[in-house]
Order: sequence, then C-alpha cells, then structure tokens
Amino acid sequence: MTDLSGRIALVTGAGTGIGKGIAIELAACGAKVAIHYNSSDAGAKDTEARIRALGGECMLVQADVSRKQEIDRMAEQVIERFGGIDILVNNAALQMNIGLFEYDESAYDQLMHVNLKGYWQCMQAVIPSMKARGKGRIVIISSVHSKRPTDFDPVYAMTKGGMRMLCRESALELARYNITVNAVEPGAVDVGKKSGKPRDIIPDEVAGEAVTKPRDVLLRKFPMGRIGLPQDVGQLVCYLSSDASDFMTGSAIRLDGASMLF
Amino acid sequence: MTGTVMITDADSDSGIALVRRFASDTGANFILCGNPGGERMQAALSACRSAGVRTMATDASLCSPAAVDAVLQEALERLGPVTVLIHNRRCAAPIRVEDGEEAAFLRMLDAHAKSAFVCTQAVGRQMAEAGTGSIVFASSIHAEKPTGSSFAYSVSQGAIKMLAKEAALTLGRSGVRVNTIEMGPVEGDDERFRSDVATQYRDYRFKVPNAELGSWEDLAACALFLASSEARYVNGADLRLDGGFVLHYLDHKMKRGQQHREG
Repeated sequence: MTDLSGRIALVTGAGTGIGKGIAIELAACGAKVAIHYNSSDAGAKDTEARIRALGGECMLVQADVSRKQEIDRMAEQVIERFGGIDILVNNAALQMNIGLFEYDESAYDQLMHVNLKGYWQCMQAVIPSMKARGKGRIVIISSVHSKRPTDFDPVYAMTKGGMRMLCRESALELARYNITVNAVEPGAVDVGKKSGKPRDIIPDEVAGEAVTKPRDVLLRKFPMGRIGLPQDVGQLVCYLSSDASDFMTGSAIRLDGASMLF
Repeated sequence: MTGTVMITDADSDSGIALVRRFASDTGANFILCGNPGGERMQAALSACRSAGVRTMATDASLCSPAAVDAVLQEALERLGPVTVLIHNRRCAAPIRVEDGEEAAFLRMLDAHAKSAFVCTQAVGRQMAEAGTGSIVFASSIHAEKPTGSSFAYSVSQGAIKMLAKEAALTLGRSGVRVNTIEMGPVEGDDERFRSDVATQYRDYRFKVPNAELGSWEDLAACALFLASSEARYVNGADLRLDGGFVLHYLDHKMKRGQQHREG
C-alpha cells in the first residue's frame, strides 16, 4: 500500500461522495487529513468518524470556497493545527444540471466562482506552505466532461474545460518549486449510498439506471459492468500524492472504466 | 450567405480582417461589436459600406444577457435575424497562478468565457427557433497548450472549447452548427505570451514547419468556411489553425533561413 505517513492533506468537499472517499483512502495510507466542508457538516463528521475508526488523524474545517478570505482562513487553520500542507485535493465543485437556455447569470457566476476561481484560490492558499516544505502535491478532481460534453449542464463542462488548462498551466508554473499538479477525470461515480442513487456526476435519470439496472444493461454504457466508486478515485489520488508519482505533472487521468470509449 | 453576421471585437485587428472577408464574400448584414466611435471601427464600417451592406455598431456589454438581448432585438428590426455569430476576442494579459489577483482573473474569465456563454445563449436561442445558423469561436491553441504567462487566458479558452461542444449538441438538434478555431501564432505572439516558464514561443516562427506565421486573413478564411454551407457536416469540431506549430518536437529539424543558421 502507498505510504503517506507524516504527510498532511487538505481535501475540499470531503463531507460527501468522491471527496469523502479520497479523504478516507489518504488516511488509510497514513496521511493526516483536513476534511473541508461547506454545508455538509453531518457528512464531514461521518468522514471524521470513519478516519478515526481507521486510527487516522484528521480535523474538520469549514469554508465557502467561492470566497478567498474563507479559503485563506481554512489553509491557516490546517497549517496551525498540523504544521503545513503537503497535499491539496481540489474536489469541492458544484453541478447545477441546468440546460443552456435555462441558465441565468447568477447560476453561471456561482459555478465559475466555486469550480474555477475556488480551485485556483485553494492552490494559491497552499503554495507558500508547499514552497517552504520543498515539495507539494496538488490533485484536481475534474471529470470526463473536461473533454466530453455533458449534454445536461454546459457551464459545468465549461468549468471542467477550464480545469484542464488550470492543471496544465499550474504544472508548468509550479514545477520549479517541486510541486506537481495532476487531474483525475472520473466518469460516473456512485456517490449516493444513503439516498440509493448517485449524484453529482450524471443526471438522475441516467444515474438511477446505472445503479439499479442489471449488469447486461449496465454493460451498454459501462464496459466494466459497473460505475466508479469514491474509493476508486481515492486510490488514484493516493498514488498521485505519493513519491511514486514524482515525475508525473500536468497529466490528466481518465478514470471511467472505459465508458468514454463508447 | 445571407442574413446577419454578428462579430465581436470587430474593431480589433482580427475583427477587421473578419469583417473585410465576410463583407466581400457574402451579402450579409453586420452587427459589429466594439467601440462605435473609435477610429478602428471606421475601418470595419468602411469595408461594409464598400460591399453595400447594412450595419449596426454597438458597444453593448457582451457579458450582460439583457444588453445582448437588446442588441439582437434592435438588429432583428433593422437587419434581420442573426445567421452567423463569430465570437472573436483575445485579451491575454500576464497573470500567474501563484500570485494573480482575483479581479484580474475574473476580468479575463468574463471577457472570454462569460461573453461567449451570454452570446451563445442569446444568439443560439434565436438560431434554434429559426432552425439554422452557425456559431464560430475564434479561440486559440491555448485552449490546449498552456501559455506559461497568462493562465486565466488559457483557462478561459478551455472553458470556451467545452461551451462549443455543449452547444454543438444542444443547438445541433435545431440545425445550428457550433465550431471552434484554435488559432496559432501570429506576429507578436512571442511578446504577447512572453514567459519565464514556457519556451514554446522561442524561435516560434521556425516551429511552424513551413516557417511562416499565420495571419488574421487566415483566420477569416477559416471562419468563412465554417460559417458557410460547405461546412454543413462540421459540428463541434476544433479546427487547429497553426500551420502545424503545436506539433513541434525537440526542434532539431526546423526550417531556418540561411541568415538564421548563421545567426
């Protein structure tokens, strides 16, 4: 198993779904984990309880990542408690599932401010600590929709297209500090264990089908006969956070069980 | 090609080239976005006058849905419905990931991505109702290739690239095509994208296999093709217009002139 003992990770949006899976996997590999949440405090406490059950060390930190001031405060709290930040996992993102003609200006701005400005400013907030420590790992949780359109939320895909370039630009710019930046592009992920249906990645009508339909029906869209799980993403993030990925930066890894090949 | 062509930043160098080409080769009317009173807009307007077509110049904010709707309404009455939208905007300014200012980031994101979205939504609605139309985003190779100097610019272009693909699906069902031109280097891009972390613009002219930079006339020719019925089956495409620039690898076989070899 990947050894991340002694490393300090900040995972945004770790109260639910993919972020929760990432936080737990990082802790299982020995990292100290700061669990960021905005409104999912019950979910964040659940992530905390699961990490403690593994014998891991963690803390909770609340922030609205559309506000720079709150992002900076979040980073300060983590640094004060754990002494620095080695790993940032940018995961807290919104998806509205609104069509092209239904979007209004405020929904557009909100998505851009959380998904793009928020990802960037979280990076800005941790760079000084990573520079001081001589290395860093930044993982951008993007989506297959950085390349393939959604057909259900154009602005969500725009933010993912922007993330593709944020990853490449920051990889170039931060290489001199020995900070790597990589993106994970998951396809459909089952993130709704409690509600019984996945959310966030695909619209409800497709999502319901992905969980409840028999394997032969699933195979029409998902060659592995299943959709992804948060721990699939978490395990890849552990690799990208480890010394084993030292030479990998500016890369985007599609993690979708080959579903985008259909 | 008939109807009305809407061109953003029509008073920029690239905009003027687009207006000249479309005015000379089509019988369309024009909505010219930019500074109506500016000297450079006069160049665009005079190209239209020579062609004998009707125009409307506007400085409406392209990030404001209400303002863009008002422009389209006025144009509908004066010129007829928009059949071609060319979103053409490039305001790259240096900004770094590490220490960029929020206001500068948002300015860049809005100038490119938000204006593209607002125009696509408004014009797309009109085109979808008419069951025909073509939208062309005059974007950049920096929708794929990092600049090393202006991350907010390439983030914006990456966003526009996905907007084009989404709109190609949504509007494609109503007979509207949406495509992107990824424009490569033109004269001066080595300065425009001067970087201390990226080397792609070093010897940039010679990284184009034929050692010739592109021009705005190349962009206009490509946009004209994408807007025309000749391109009826081209939808959701990214047309890289860079003479092969981004294919350069190790740069050991560049076509250099004698003077450069000696230099």
